[in-house]
Amino acid sequence: MGGDNGVGPPPLKRLKLSIPTAKAVPGDSLVTILAPPMAKDMPADDGVTIGSRGQIRKLEFVRIITQALSSLGYKHAATALEEESGVPLQLPVVSDFRREILAGLWDESITTLHKITWLDDETVKLASFLILQQKFLEFLDSGDTSSALKTLRSEISLLGINTHRVHELASFVMCPSREALSERADWRGANPDSRVCLLEQLQNLLPPALMIPENRLEHLVEQALEVQRKSCLFHNSSEHLLSLYTDHRCSRDQIPTRTLQVLEAHENEVWFLQFSHNGRYLASASKDLTAILWEVVEDGLVKLRHILRGHQKAVSFVAWSPDDTMLLTCGNEENVKLWDTSTGECRHTFNKPNSCFTSCAWFPDGNRFVSGGGDKSIYMWDLEGQELESWKGARMPRINDLAITVDGSHMVSICGDKDIRIYNLEEKSERVIEEEKPITSLSVSKDGRYLLVNLVSQEIHLWDIAVSSKLLFKYRGHRQGRYVIRSCFGGSDHAFIVSGSEDSQVYIWHRQNGELLEVLPGHSGTVNSVSWNPVNPHMFASASDDHTIRIWGLTTNIDQKNPNVGAANGIDHLENGGTRELLENLKPFY
Amino acid sequence: MDLDPQEYDNLKVSDSEVLKIVLSYLVHNCFKETAETFIACSGMKRTADCSVDIDKRKPIYNHVLEGNVLKAIELTNELAVDLLSTNQDVHFDLLTLHFVELVRAKDCAGALEFAQKELRPFGKQDCYREKLQDCIALLAYEEPEKSPMFFLLSMDHRQSVADSLNCAILAHAHLPSYTSMERLLQHTTVVRQRLNQELGKDGPPVFTLKAYLKG
Repeated sequence: MGGDNGVGPPPLKRLKLSIPTAKAVPGDSLVTILAPPMAKDMPADDGVTIGSRGQIRKLEFVRIITQALSSLGYKHAATALEEESGVPLQLPVVSDFRREILAGLWDESITTLHKITWLDDETVKLASFLILQQKFLEFLDSGDTSSALKTLRSEISLLGINTHRVHELASFVMCPSREALSERADWRGANPDSRVCLLEQLQNLLPPALMIPENRLEHLVEQALEVQRKSCLFHNSSEHLLSLYTDHRCSRDQIPTRTLQVLEAHENEVWFLQFSHNGRYLASASKDLTAILWEVVEDGLVKLRHILRGHQKAVSFVAWSPDDTMLLTCGNEENVKLWDTSTGECRHTFNKPNSCFTSCAWFPDGNRFVSGGGDKSIYMWDLEGQELESWKGARMPRINDLAITVDGSHMVSICGDKDIRIYNLEEKSERVIEEEKPITSLSVSKDGRYLLVNLVSQEIHLWDIAVSSKLLFKYRGHRQGRYVIRSCFGGSDHAFIVSGSEDSQVYIWHRQNGELLEVLPGHSGTVNSVSWNPVNPHMFASASDDHTIRIWGLTTNIDQKNPNVGAANGIDHLENGGTRELLENLKPFY
Repeated sequence: MDLDPQEYDNLKVSDSEVLKIVLSYLVHNCFKETAETFIACSGMKRTADCSVDIDKRKPIYNHVLEGNVLKAIELTNELAVDLLSTNQDVHFDLLTLHFVELVRAKDCAGALEFAQKELRPFGKQDCYREKLQDCIALLAYEEPEKSPMFFLLSMDHRQSVADSLNCAILAHAHLPSYTSMERLLQHTTVVRQRLNQELGKDGPPVFTLKAYLKG
């Protein structure tokens, strides 16, 4: 039972061991724990309840309001409420006790403690221990070792409890300096903060009806907001504060479901796309041997910036550097190219004969990356073209997809058909998750905790890979055969999962409950890849075999921001100046 | 003993061997006068400086037993300058014993000062930390003899510290740090234990000195 902070072991733990009855059963009114002589100071709980469901005790409600008024600084209002309602916030003896603790009047506070007559002996001892411990530590802190020792010997020791802690306190006497003391004893110093902390711990010891925990009302309200936020299905906003005036519920139109733009610059199937980390650029990769850099300008419009030519074969993958200044592209060939995103020039070509790189991933320092592919190896490179490390061998099957977690600690890859290999780069150890069916692509969440994989069995699996691997959800509804279809996390707080599909539609699910929220038609070919803007929760892009990229946004955006786009006249103005009928801009039918 | 006396009646033990065993015990435990009388009576050859050695060791031993640890340390350093620095364990035991004596004398300030000065360096080493914590914890009690660490104030503890210092001094002088009597008893105990483990009921019982002495 040693202490792990400056003022004693967590009281709750000790309570369980020694005093089963020290805490009042929640809900007991003051009257049931007060001895009769004291009862006349507090009004009886007449059982009156308020609230539409009759679940709130009026007496308790008034008291926590008084507490809230007082802590907000409205002392007069608090006193007035006490008078008008006839319900004092706390008994005078408790007020005295609090005051004495905060003022450091230790001996007086212990005397007052004993005056609270309906506490049992164990509680009184535990509370006295905490108070005397504070007294002891404050003496030591001010250098008065002999007073500290005297307190320890003649007061603390005599309580006869917590021997281990008593010995520890004795050893603190040996600390040569205040810094050593604060380090060893986890002591925050003899300042008002530590006394407030002491008060909190004492509060936990005493029955809550006697001394209500601080900020109780705020705590209850925050709990309610949390529940509302969690139950909001379509919650997708960058606003962090919820209003107290109405229950929070986002409507369906918080999810982007309208095509805002169709980008037609590619001349063949578009296989992959990804927004930059800062959400200002988009990179797409196509079978037409190019990758294209797009810029998101004001109003959410996307304009072409650079066409990156140089690959000899189709480009199937792009990866933005952590600071978005560089882009890696790989295709079905033995080259990986590094581009400068502001000029569009190719800075370096990394070559490994007989390999066929399918994917690559940056390290968080932006100076190294890994690439993997069909020759069953993963290579680590620096930006000058040096090969730093490689993972090869008979045990390495073909790598289909590769990712590095944001903190740089793990490298995740799809090996062979059904295995996900999570390699710990620091410890050089690995875990393998075996899937049921072949996997085509993977995506790691921003916090590095979750993994999304698309399976050929037309399911998307969400795994929790934080400590051990746990399958959390399966998302279904889309169509996927043998092609590589990619999905990703999206929305604020990664609330959604969005994926492409072989039926030309985009599918959006709610991450937490697996519910399919939207199915968005629009493309006329398999949707290969989707990317949600990491900075704008109301924007995502999709890439399709129909040679186009679609930018999706909120329904409400259309009329205000881009009067040219909309179902009003069925005509859409395209990036390269053409127009096209947009009859398929119908509302989703789910 | 339960062994059949016939088994060992034929084994001869030489007289001079026995004399040596007895003498080694007396010398080890600093029984100077007894040792000298014994040598005289038994006609043993005197080994040169055993009395000198005893003369040096005996006061140190007694000082420790009486609790005059600082004096004991002083004499030890005179006798063998580097002994304590090379025997950390013994040094630690001596210093903590002094601390305990200060606590016993209710000199808390003095004890604390002594601890801060002399004992703190030992606190950095893991092997001493727990023992040190036990000692310091004595400060928390107005009646240390009623604390869980009361054994530190006992005579037994002093005895064991004195013994270990004694052994260290003997070892330092390249004399055996154990008596042959002790070794023989230990030997017998281990051998009998092994036999007991291997042969079970058929073998001889485990050796205890008490049982042996009773007959």
